Parts: sequence; structure tokens; C-alpha cells
Amino acid sequence: MSDIPIKLEGVWKIFGTRAEEAMAAVRSEGLSKNEVLARFGAVIGIADVSFDVHWGEIFCIMGLSGSGKSTLIRHINRLIEPTAGRVEVLGRDVTRLSEPELRAMRSQKIGMVFQHMALLPHRSVRDNVAYPLEIRGAPKGRRWEISQHVLSLVGLDGFEDRFPDEISGGMQQRVGLARALASDPDVLLMDEPFSALDPLIRRQLQDQFKALSEQLHKTTLFITHDLDEAIRLGTRIAIMKDGRIVQIGTPVDIVTNPADDYVRDFVRNISRLKLVFAHAIMEPLTSDSAEKFAQSPRVSQDSDLDHLVDVAITTPHPLVITNAEGKDIGVVSKDRLLRGIQGGK
Amino acid sequence: MIYRTRENSSQSVADAVPHIADSVRAFAVARGDYYARVMIRIQSHAGFVATFNWGAAVFGPVWAAARGLWGLFSCFAVLELMALVQLSRGLFSDLGAVPRARADRLGENYERMLARVQAARDQGDETGADALARNAERLQAALEKALDQAQEAAAAGVELVIFGLFAFVLIKGIEGISANIAYEKHYSRWRADKRVRAGFQWTGAAVGAVFVAAVYSIALYGFTVAEPVAFIHTFPADKTHYQMLAAAIDRVFDQTATDFGVFFDGIARGIRFLLDGLEVVFVQTPWPVVMVVITIFAWRLAGPRVAIFTVAALAYIALLGFWEKAMETVSLLGAASFLCVAIGIPLGIWFARSERVYAVARPVLDLMQTLPSFVYLIPIIAFFGTGKPPGILASMVFGLPPIIRLTTLGLREVPKDVTEASRAFGATRWQTLTGVEMPLALPSIMTGINQTILMCLSLVVIAALIDAKGLGYDILAALQYAAKGQGILAGFAILFCAVVIDRLVQGGIKQKKGPR
Amino acid sequence: MPANRTQGATGNAPSIDLTPSITEFVGARAAFYVGRFKLLLAGQNRWRVNWAALIFGPLWAAARGIWAFFWLFAILELVAWVQVGRGIWGDLGADKLAEAARLQAKSDQLMAEAARGDTNAELLVESAGNLARAAENARAASEAGEASTTTYLLVGLLLLGLFKLMEGLWADRVYERQYTRWRVDKRVPSGFNLYRLAGGCALLLLVFSLTLYRFTVSQPDQRIVSVPVPSTYHTHTANLIEDYLDRTARAGAGLFNSIAGGTEAVLNAIEAVFVETSWPVIVIFFLLAAWRLAGGRVAIFTGAALAYMGILGLWEKSMLTLALVSSAAVFCVLMGIPLGVWCARSSRVYAVVRPVLDMMQTMPAFVYLIPIIAFFGTGKVPGILATIAFSMPPVIRLTALGLAQVPKDVVEAARAFGATQWQLMTGVELPLAAPTIMTGVNQTILMCLSMVVIASLIGARGLGQEVLVALQFVAKGQGILAGLAILCCAMVLDRIVQGRFRRGDGA
Repeated sequence: MSDIPIKLEGVWKIFGTRAEEAMAAVRSEGLSKNEVLARFGAVIGIADVSFDVHWGEIFCIMGLSGSGKSTLIRHINRLIEPTAGRVEVLGRDVTRLSEPELRAMRSQKIGMVFQHMALLPHRSVRDNVAYPLEIRGAPKGRRWEISQHVLSLVGLDGFEDRFPDEISGGMQQRVGLARALASDPDVLLMDEPFSALDPLIRRQLQDQFKALSEQLHKTTLFITHDLDEAIRLGTRIAIMKDGRIVQIGTPVDIVTNPADDYVRDFVRNISRLKLVFAHAIMEPLTSDSAEKFAQSPRVSQDSDLDHLVDVAITTPHPLVITNAEGKDIGVVSKDRLLRGIQGGK
Repeated sequence: MIYRTRENSSQSVADAVPHIADSVRAFAVARGDYYARVMIRIQSHAGFVATFNWGAAVFGPVWAAARGLWGLFSCFAVLELMALVQLSRGLFSDLGAVPRARADRLGENYERMLARVQAARDQGDETGADALARNAERLQAALEKALDQAQEAAAAGVELVIFGLFAFVLIKGIEGISANIAYEKHYSRWRADKRVRAGFQWTGAAVGAVFVAAVYSIALYGFTVAEPVAFIHTFPADKTHYQMLAAAIDRVFDQTATDFGVFFDGIARGIRFLLDGLEVVFVQTPWPVVMVVITIFAWRLAGPRVAIFTVAALAYIALLGFWEKAMETVSLLGAASFLCVAIGIPLGIWFARSERVYAVARPVLDLMQTLPSFVYLIPIIAFFGTGKPPGILASMVFGLPPIIRLTTLGLREVPKDVTEASRAFGATRWQTLTGVEMPLALPSIMTGINQTILMCLSLVVIAALIDAKGLGYDILAALQYAAKGQGILAGFAILFCAVVIDRLVQGGIKQKKGPR
Repeated sequence: MPANRTQGATGNAPSIDLTPSITEFVGARAAFYVGRFKLLLAGQNRWRVNWAALIFGPLWAAARGIWAFFWLFAILELVAWVQVGRGIWGDLGADKLAEAARLQAKSDQLMAEAARGDTNAELLVESAGNLARAAENARAASEAGEASTTTYLLVGLLLLGLFKLMEGLWADRVYERQYTRWRVDKRVPSGFNLYRLAGGCALLLLVFSLTLYRFTVSQPDQRIVSVPVPSTYHTHTANLIEDYLDRTARAGAGLFNSIAGGTEAVLNAIEAVFVETSWPVIVIFFLLAAWRLAGGRVAIFTGAALAYMGILGLWEKSMLTLALVSSAAVFCVLMGIPLGVWCARSSRVYAVVRPVLDMMQTMPAFVYLIPIIAFFGTGKVPGILATIAFSMPPVIRLTALGLAQVPKDVVEAARAFGATQWQLMTGVELPLAAPTIMTGVNQTILMCLSMVVIASLIGARGLGQEVLVALQFVAKGQGILAGLAILCCAMVLDRIVQGRFRRGDGA
């Protein structure tokens, strides 16, 4: 199998009857979104998006509504055809697949979870979960046994003979997740799976999903409009605006080095206590000032700000940061700590 | 990965087997082990799995009834019945009876004819005797044919027996093979819905057995015995019940019609007055005026394309000499729809206000629309006689439900928070109704008006049957005399009326909605 | 301070100047309307006369683009003018006068003959006397007619004055309302427009002149009264169509016969099942079906309905009707659902089919019969074909609707898991659309039943015939009993089908 399970290169999506013309014009003249709308009556959904997703990671795509993230995720299994560009999944260009190949890919390699669950109301939970297997023509006994297993993975033992409208929203979405896992796909696509749920249940499901994905090592593309969620779950995060990707990075990258004002605006209200670590805010220690901090408590450079605050409360002195070998490498004064919590100003 | 099915699936199937087996045993109760084995076999293969259930094959429909598979029960029962009827016709009924009886009759005639030939010969009437002899020959040929047929029919009995037997065995085979597959589906349904009947039920078996016995015996009796008791074939009804009841209804109607004559006359006169007014406008006004005004309205309300269509439609109507009849129909329609709207909207508002009234009125409205329109005509003629006003009344019965229903619907669909807001600002009920609810319900009400008009039109045409004249009369005449050409011309005239009216009203609705 | 407070937010609201906007709207005579509108907007509800509107009436409205006002008062004034016209020009006594003159002439002639000394002079004189009296009466009636002209004139003038006054008083308010509408929707006509005025003039001229002529002149030109078309147009066209239909029917006899033959075979089979099978079997089957599919109450109702039909001796006719309805319904469903699916799949097909469906539902049921008898003659087969044509639209429409209403995300989910078109349709779309489709089937059944009577007009047998006969002979009792039997059939089928669906939904 290929090294990179999902790879997008220069993907464009323009909606409208004159999409092709608009695409050509955008290529040659570099029109803006509004110009395209005015001239061709076409709307740019996705503009020149490229990224790679690595094996086993949860790649979050974060953006506000209308930023094109849901359109983007539908390119991965070609529910939407790209206007231009290349979408590679597991080493195959999905835009070139024939109809049966595409169906095989969808039913065996890619699982998908939807924002509003999209369960089949006329089938029991078990038959919902077994749907992808049924499509593949698996015998019933096998379908039942697999659905049983996947349902137990998501903690829904004993609910298999209920109907979707008999269980709560959180459970329904777990059924959705189980359905996506049932065909044992390599790639999971999650389209804002938790955003329709109550905050408390959302948190529960996030934790459950994180644990599950660590256990199963699926490659996940996760769409969300909630930066908190992206930071909690994402190995890496891509931030989208108006169909373009503004920034890609790890949660810490995004929070500490926002690429532009748009991202900065988002990041401002994110709690940094668990995200930022001592080495990021410390002042390097010059060798001569070592004895000045003899009284100071020693803290490892990998401690997060939360821990630094805990320590700082107990002492009037600034904190000294040590590296892995226990050597002093920096110092954090209370002022610096407060600024660090507040974010780069 | 998450499970190892792909690598060693057989192992995991084995893991799952006890679980399913237990559940199947719980489901099947009687012969649980057998069904557990069969169902696991069926479930572990995609596609068709051949198993044979002897219980089902032997007992057929009764097995299905005992297991709660009533759909299968009906199928089996009908199929078996068909086979059995063939079989028993072959075995028991005298298939040759009818042709043989004919042969006997022919034989007698033949004898008689021969006797007459002989008599003629005796009297020396040679020519007459020859003619009679030719007749006798013909009779003889017929007689031989009948005898052949009788023999053939008797022989066909054997064929029927063989065919019936074959079909019966085939059906039993199908029963045995399909039983487990159907039962497995039933089991899957039961897993998700415990209301589905599980297990072996003696009551089901008993009901099934009684049913099968009753139906088989009656049907077999009816089909195999050459001349069964009439009771079986025709419902033992006493004609006097019918006559008495019909006469009683007649009396009630006549009595009511005389008792409330003044009342009915008053209604009829009121409608007649309205209709006369409309007829002055549509029929007596010079046709160019009516035409121009209608065209202008079409143009203003629905745009130039509809206006052109309207001109063409009116020209068609005028050129083929339907003008007066069409205008008569339009007047009838106008009166009927006006009355429907005038009565229907207030009623709709009332029904929207009061849950209790609506609960009573709804079945009545359903009934009014379910009943074939002709049936209304009967009481209406009884009370109002024939002519135009009764025609309008009948149209109203048919045309009222949509407007009432859609007014109620429209008012009920007004968002609660909007009416609440209106009340919160201190609006009276009347102000809320006129200022908030009616405007918001308007699209729905307009749809109701449109439907009402079309309903009325379809009945105004039918009302020709009770002498309401207009275009419907032409159609009726065409139907009676199979005058296809005339009928089609009149049909198009009605169609054009309907389309023009529909477009005009819809244009009006769009204009109402447009600015908002 | 507190005093100011009580005035609140509205007390200090600055007054807005509407003059420019009103001027823009009104066009000609802006100053006058600005004044009037401001008074109205300020809540001064005193009625003021708009002289232009009073004098010119509908023409004023036309020029200002208030068309509702134009039509209303054009008609009202027309009514008044007709009365006036009758009063002035109408020769109301003319008929009678002519008659009187004729009678008088006759009487004179008879007198003359009598004077010549004919044998039966006595008789002639008497007749002449009678005639003279009749002439006298006619003359009196004519005079009364002459006298009533003044009444007509007076009533007409009174009405005219009344309407004019209404026009004058109402104009400002109506115009102000139009202004308010114009503010939110600039397509509302504004200003004083000469084209509109000309249009209004032309309309009034045409309508008034013709109508006045028609109603005031005692013997108006026949070309005005009825459309001057020779009746040959109608007969010619009718004959043409008839010839054409006959030719088509002959040319396509094979096709039509095979359709009719196929339908008849199916119908006969179903009829045989219903009519030939002994009634206890049918009753048991119906009861069992009702009980299993729709529950105990429906079974009891079914039993009662069947008993009603049986006891009143309507059994065979009811069975014929049920056979007709169920075979029509089966045809409708078999053809309608695939068509509905096709419509839902292809928007182009739906664009073609929809107007046809609309037209079919707009058209009175009667009309369906005509082309059908043209091609298939009369009898039960054409009856069932007409029923099918009439009843198919709901199932097509509601199948298309049901499929269109399937939630997009569920369809997307099925596609995301690799379902083929067929799997998508049978596993997801049709089950989810089933409630709507069943509503369509139900409506179709009811429409089939409502066609039962109409189909019997062209010779379909059964209960419909009974109702039709009752209608022709005003046999109320018979008609109502048969009508109730039809109703029973309808409700039994309806309840069983609905119950089936409700159960299917639950299980």
C-alpha cells in the first residue's frame, strides 16, 4: 500500500453550469470569488486545496459554515466530483475510478460518519450497522456477528435490536460510527459527527472516539467547526476559509503560531493551559545567573502551563526549567507565565 | 485491525453460533434445535439456500398459521386450493355430464325426427320426407359430436386428476423449500420487533385449520358438484328487504321534501338569484366585451403567454359555437365556487379555532370527498328537483372540502410564536386573525380556492345529468349517442375552460404572493 | 425630567418628510396629493372629495394605475348607465306598441270585411271588437312601459350619482394604499400615465358602447348577442374528427384490440375470482385479511359492510364493482409506481409528465370517456381503461414526491457505503418513500371508486349502473342504497390498505 493514505493535489470545485469555463478563467486570469460569481454565475466551493494525511493520524479540517469543509470531505469518496485536481486515496486516484471500482472502494476502504447521523429509519440498529456489509453481499450470519462486534466497540451492547428512533442522539451517532467501522475501512471520513449533540455528550463521544482511534489506528479525516474539538482530537489541523486552506499544523503550531489574523482570532479564546509547554515561554538561562535561582523550584521543560501555575502558586520565586537530563535551561517569571497563558501579545 | 474476520472467519462464525442458536431456540420454541441448525445454515450463506421443511410441506398453510406467517398462509391456501379444485373435479365431478345431457336431448330429437320422416314417407310426401331426412342427418352429426365430447370430457377427468396431483405435489414441494427461508425472515423481524409472533401457536394452528377446512370444503363443493345448492353460489338475500328499505327511504325523502318545502325552495331561489346575476354578466353581456375583459385579466394576472393561450381558447370556444354553453357553465361554476368560498372560509376558520369541532368535521369532510359524486345527486334531486340550482348545490358538496381543509391547515400552520407575538402586543383576536393569521395562511387558502374551483368544474359538468345544461350536456349527449367528434370538441371546450380558469387563479395567487 | 421620561422613545421621534417620495410616486398634481396623503397619514379620517376621481371615475383610476378601482367602478357605472340608457333611448313600449298597431290593423280589416256585408258579419264584428280591445290593452301596456322609462332614468341617475360620490370619496384612500404598497414594491404602477389613460379609454369605450347597445336597444343586432358563427363549423369539425377517429381506430385495430383483449382477460379473471367463488369463501378471505392486516375493528366493520351488500341483494353487483376497482387499481399501481420512479430520477421526464398530470387532474372525469369510446367502443373494458386513466395521476405524483422527500443525507450515506443504484432504490429510497406512495395508492383506489358510476355511463356493470339508473328514474331509495354500497366498498378497501401500511410501518 502507498505511504500516504489520502493525498489531495490542487483540488478545485466550482459549482454551476459553467464550471469548466470558470475554471479555465480562474486558471488564466486568477479571478476572485466574487468575479467568478458575477461572470459565470458559478460559486467556488474549494479552491486549490492540497494536503497529505498520514497513516493513523486524525486530520482535522476546521472552518466556519460555508468554508467548504463538507464539500471537501465529499471529494475523498467522490460523492462530489472535483472540477480540477487529483484526489488519491490509498494510492489510487479516485477521480479515475470506474463506477464499480468506486463502489468497491466506498464499501471496503472508506467509512463515513455524517453530521445528522443519516441512519436508515426503517432498519434496526443492527441492520443499519450491517448495511455496508449487506451492500457487499455478505451472508447474514456474518453481518450479524460483525455488527455485534462493532456495536460492542462503541459501547452499544444490547441495543442491536432497537430502531434508530428509539435511542438517544448520542447513541444514534455511535451507531453511525459503528456503521462506518463495520466494513473495517482503512480511511474514516467524519463530517462534523458530533456537532449536532449536546455539549456533555459531545465531550463523551470525543473521548470515546479518541480512545477508539488509538486502539484501531484508522486514518481519519475529521471535519469540525469547533476549534476546541479539533485541538482535542486532531493530530494535525487544517484551517479552511472560503474554500482555501489557511494553515496546516499541529494544535500547538496553530495555537502558538497562527498564520494570519483570521486564525489568530480563532485561537484567541482557546485555553492554552494544556497546549503550551514550558519551553515555549521560558527565557533561556544564561550560565552566570545560575545561583540567582537557587531557591526556585525546578520544573521539566515538558510541563504544560497548567502545571507551571500549580507550582508557581506555592513559591514566590520564578520557576527554573530543566531539560531531560535535569540540567537547568531556562526560567519563567510570573509575568512571563501570565503572558504565556494570555497568548502572544 | 478491528477484528479478524478476514483472516479466519470460520472461527468467529463458530464463536457467534451459540448466541444465535439460543436466540433461534427461544424464537422457535417447538423444534428449536432443528430451526437453529437451519437458520444458521441460511444465515451463513449469501443467496439461496436449499433446505426442506417436512412439517411445512405436509401441513402447508396450517404450519404457516401456527408459526404466525399469515402472508405465507394465504399464498399456500390459495395455491393448494387451486390444485385441489382441479384434482377433485377430475375425481368426483361428472365432467361429461353436460355434454352427455345434450347428447341425450339430441338423441331424443333424432328419434323424433326419424319418426316424422317415417310418417312423411307413409303419407307419400317424398319431398317433405327428404327435407326432414336432411334435418335428421344434421341432428345425427350433432349427436355424434356431442357423444364424442362427452367421452372426451370424461377422459379429461383423468388428465385433470394427473394435472391436479402434479400441481399439488409441486406446491407442497415449494412449501417445503420456501418455509425455512420465510421463517428466517420472520425471525429477523422478530429480533428487532418483539411484537412479531414467535413460537408455535396452537391458536394460530386452530384458526388456520378451521379456515382451511371451511374454505376448502365450500370451494370444492361449489366447483366440483355439477349443480350445487344455490345458497352457496348466490347470497341468500331476500329481495323484500331491499324493496322495503328503498321504499322507506323514498318515503322519508318525500316527507322531508314536503315538510320543508319552503326551506328548500328558499335555498333554491337564493341560488337562482345569484346565478341570474352571473348569467347577465357572462351570457347576456355582448361576447366581445366578455372576451376582451377575460383576455385583459389573463394578461394582467398571468402574463402575456397565458393571455395568448386564453385568446386561442376563447376563439376555439366561440368559433365552434360553444360560446353560450361555455358561459353558462362558467356562470354555474362562478356561483358554486363563490358559495363554496363564502361558506368554506368561515367554516375553515372555525375548525382551526376549535379542536373539538374539527374532530367532528374531519370524517364528514373525508366522507364528502370519498363518496362518488353521483351519489350526492340523489338526495339533492329528492329535495330540490332537477335544474341549475340543484346542480350548483351538488357541486358545492364536492367543492367545499378543499377550501375548508386548506383554510384550516393554513391557519394551523401559522407559527405559534408569531401569533403569540401579536397577542403580546395586545392585539384582539380579530386583529390577530385579520392582520397576522389570514395573511400568513393566504397561500394555503388560495390553493384551496383553486382546488375548489376545479372540483366544482368537474361536478358542474356531471350536473348536466340532472339537467343543469352547459357544456356537460354536450358531453352527455355525445356519450349517449356515441358522437365521438362532438364529444371531443365539447371535451376540449371544457378542458380549455378549466385551464384558463386555473391559470387565471394561479396567476392571481402568484401576484398575491409576489410582493410579499 | 420625569415628564420628559414619560414621553419615552416615541415622543421625541423626529417627523419624517415624505414629500419627495410622494411627489415621485404621484407625478402630476403632486402638491394636491401630498397634502391629502399627509392628512390621511396623520390620522385625520375626514372624508374629502377628489374631484378628478369623481368626474372621471374609472378613467382617473386607469391613468393612476389603480386597476381594481377601475374595474369595480367601470362595472358599477355600466350598470347605472344601462338604466339611464334604457330610460332615454330604450323603446321600452316599442314591442307592445307594434303589437297594438298590428292588432288594430287586423281589427280594422275585419271591420271592413263586415262592412262589405259578408254573411257572418256578426261574427266578424265581434272578432274585430275583441281585437280592438286587445290592441287597446297592448297600447296601455306600451304606455305603461313608456311611463316606466322615467323610473329607469331616475334609478339610473341615482345610482350613477351614488357611484360617482363613492369614487370621489374613496379615491384618496385607495391611492394612498397604493402608495404604501409602491414604497415596498416599485413594480406597483405609479404616476400619471397617458398610455394607461388611453388604454382605459379604449376599454371603456368598447365595453360601454357594446353593452349599452345590447341592453338598451329593444332588438339589438344578433351579431352582438351571440357569436356570428355558422353552425357548419361545428358539424364540419366534428365530422372531420369523427372520420379521423374512425380511420385511426380501423388502422390501429390490432393495437386497440390487443389492449382491450389483454385488459379483458385480466378483468375476466379477477371478475371470476370475485363473482364465481362462492360468497362464504370471499367473506372469510376478506375478514381474515382485514383482521390480520388492519386489526379487529376493521374486521368487524368489513363484516358489517359485506353483510349490508349481501342482505340487500347487492352482492353480485358489489363484487363486479370490487373486481373493476381492484383490477383498475392494480393496473394503476403497476404502471404508476415505475412511472413515478422514473419521474423522480429524471427531471426532464418530470417536466414533460407534470403538465400532463396537471391537465388530467384538472379535467372533469366525464371527458376521459370520449376518446376512450372512440377507440374502444363501449362496455366494461373501456370503462376500466377510463378508470385507469383517471386514477393514475395520484400514484405517479406521490411516488415522485415521496422519492424526492427522502432525506438527502441518508441517500448520500448509502452512496458513501458503495450502494448501487438498484440497492439504493430498493433498500433505502422505496422503503422511506413508502408512506407517501401508500397515500398515493389510497387516493388512487378512491378515485377508481369515484369513477365507478361514470364508467357505467359507457356500459361498465356493477353498482355504478344501479346509481345511474336510480338517477334517471329519480329512485331515491334505490340510489342511496347502491351509493352506500359503493361507499362500503371504498371504505373496506381503504381501511385494509391503510391498515396494511400502518402495520408495515410499525413492524
